[in-house]
Amino acid sequence: MCLSSSLMGTLMFVRKRSLLGETISHATYPGIVLSGFLGAFLGKLSLLSTLFLFLGGATLFAYFGLEIIEKIRNRLRIHFDAALCLILSLSLGIGVVFASRMQFISPLWYQQTQTFLYGQAATMNDAHVLIYGILSLFVFLFIVLRYREIELSLFDRAYGKGLGVPLLKVYRFIFLFLILSIVVGIRSVGVVLMAGMLIAPAAAARSFTDRLAVLLPLSAFLGIVSGFGGNYLSVLFSERGYHLPTGPMILLFAAIITFFSLIFAPKKGIVSRLIRMNRFRRRCQSENILKTLWKGGKKTSLSHQEILKWNALGPLRLKGALFKLQREGWVTKEGKGKVILTSDGLKKAEHLVRLHRLWELYLVSCLKADEERVHYSAEEMEHILTPNLETRLSELLNNPTIDPHQKPIPRGNEP
Amino acid sequence: MNPYSGVSFFSFFPVMMKRIFLFFSGDVGSLASDEVQLLVLICIALSSALLGTFLVLRKMTMLANSLSHTILIGIVGAFFLSRFIFNRDEGIYTIHFPTLLIGAVITALLTTISTEFFHKKLRLQKDASIGLIFTSFFALGVIFVTVLSRNSHLGVEAIMGNVDALHPNHIKQVFYLLLVNAIFVFLFFRRLEVISFDQDLAKNFGISLLFFNHLLMFQTALTAVGSFRAVGVFLFLAFLVAPALTARFFTHRLKPLLFLAGGIGTFAALISVALSRHFLSVYHLPLATSGLAAVILGALFLGGALHKLRKG
Repeated sequence: MCLSSSLMGTLMFVRKRSLLGETISHATYPGIVLSGFLGAFLGKLSLLSTLFLFLGGATLFAYFGLEIIEKIRNRLRIHFDAALCLILSLSLGIGVVFASRMQFISPLWYQQTQTFLYGQAATMNDAHVLIYGILSLFVFLFIVLRYREIELSLFDRAYGKGLGVPLLKVYRFIFLFLILSIVVGIRSVGVVLMAGMLIAPAAAARSFTDRLAVLLPLSAFLGIVSGFGGNYLSVLFSERGYHLPTGPMILLFAAIITFFSLIFAPKKGIVSRLIRMNRFRRRCQSENILKTLWKGGKKTSLSHQEILKWNALGPLRLKGALFKLQREGWVTKEGKGKVILTSDGLKKAEHLVRLHRLWELYLVSCLKADEERVHYSAEEMEHILTPNLETRLSELLNNPTIDPHQKPIPRGNEP
Repeated sequence: MNPYSGVSFFSFFPVMMKRIFLFFSGDVGSLASDEVQLLVLICIALSSALLGTFLVLRKMTMLANSLSHTILIGIVGAFFLSRFIFNRDEGIYTIHFPTLLIGAVITALLTTISTEFFHKKLRLQKDASIGLIFTSFFALGVIFVTVLSRNSHLGVEAIMGNVDALHPNHIKQVFYLLLVNAIFVFLFFRRLEVISFDQDLAKNFGISLLFFNHLLMFQTALTAVGSFRAVGVFLFLAFLVAPALTARFFTHRLKPLLFLAGGIGTFAALISVALSRHFLSVYHLPLATSGLAAVILGALFLGGALHKLRKG
């Protein structure tokens, strides 16, 4: 169940339709209640047929819900979110009406339908496992066998159309299997929490990779891990005397995984992003210090105060930056508390100035920017321009020697 | 004792008229349970129509949906606050109101702030972060409920509501809520109008979007908490969204929109109470009034949609 929901959840996630699952899972509720009704009228049923009854009812109503949402959105021009909320609350209302009726006719069936609301993994048995396993397998096989079509229909519709992929059909199947995976899921985590099971693994996996081929297995894996983890925790606590419901535990486990991967993921996590930003800021600061030294007279040394005059830094930060610059061999100490550029540092600073002035010239001559205003843009670009871009800029501008402010553009490449 | 017992749908309204007449001539001792239901539902319908219109216009309905889930934690929190801190032994339906208020405020803040955090700082898609936050909060709420009260019934009741268990005191409560909401809309009407239709203009006027978003969410949480015992948080959502959406089929101007949405909500409340009584007295079927209200809202929406489609 975790497998199928995390797989389909991923597909919805990349289509930015995460909350659709929420509404569809709520839309199943009247279906379940009505199936309960039917069951109560039919009298005693075997376990398997009960199961199929619920599955059928849920699937049918989920399909209705989906159709109605599409109709509302396309024909009435109602915002997607509002349409979702509307269908969600209305279908729940219909379910409640019938459920209140059933409470009196057949309390037994009422109980059974209410388990779908919050889910009850504990009361599932082998037959459930078998049926749900088979349904999950369907979902799995669908994605594996039709991977190419799904990918095209999600990311590159124009190209897919050109190749003659029946996009509409693929969409229909994707939604069909989405419904299937939701129907499978609600028995164990419940109608209300189903949306989380669709979103969490996908969101977690998304912070590790950009590619769908990696994203799908990864999110399936995370989904299964949280399934096991939640179950394990639930059992662990019940041994200590706390009876925690399994469904919410699974979801919480998945949410925690997601939270941590959003924070600590190697490339997209917030921590690594902050580190990267910090590093870049540091680099800008040191490069600006080099420029200050260069402008301050190339071969004369400057004291810390003089550097601080041109750089918005704290004194401590300046010391750190200078220490690093010294270690890397761009500057050396000279006299008391004064620093001077080394020959390498001189070249590097010159190169920075060159990039700055090249960019200014480019803005003025090619983009017709106002020459008074190009300085700030260049202050940023001088840290970003790559050697490749530099040669191309230089070629484009016919190897210029003078910038828009009539200052010489130094020659020379990065040391 | 109940003057409505055995009354069918069509004779419900004459009986009600008579009762109102009696009420003003001072001959009614106490309100019948149907009247309590009716008044509470109407108050809720009006306040949620006021808020819902702005939520729909601001496209914040999903955040409201999220709030309707996370409110469970607020309710549970209030429940235990009143039990352990104030030492009051109460059922979920009799938590005293200030405690509930605290719960609502905390929930609203927690929901909006953490959703914003996931969206802005952790760069998760907006709807994914909404979905993630409310489901995990809800899971947490369910777990708390089961651990601390060993009774998951509380959760079901909070969601589904139970109009039949209302007490005349609740009228006062939802009336105050309506008053607060009405004052809020009345005071900030122009600003809300500008924000709903033209955010850039609002920025130029120096109206703080952030402040009003939070205020709107806060009001929604307040109303949700106030009304969960009557209609349940989910059907509160129906009252929030459906009248506003239906009213939008007929008008695009804000004031008529507000009045129409309020009217639709009130109408649904009236019909649902009468219908529920009808089912009880004619077919001996006790149906959930709150659910019926949602069904009627749905029917009204359908009617509005058909009207719109026919007009083209």
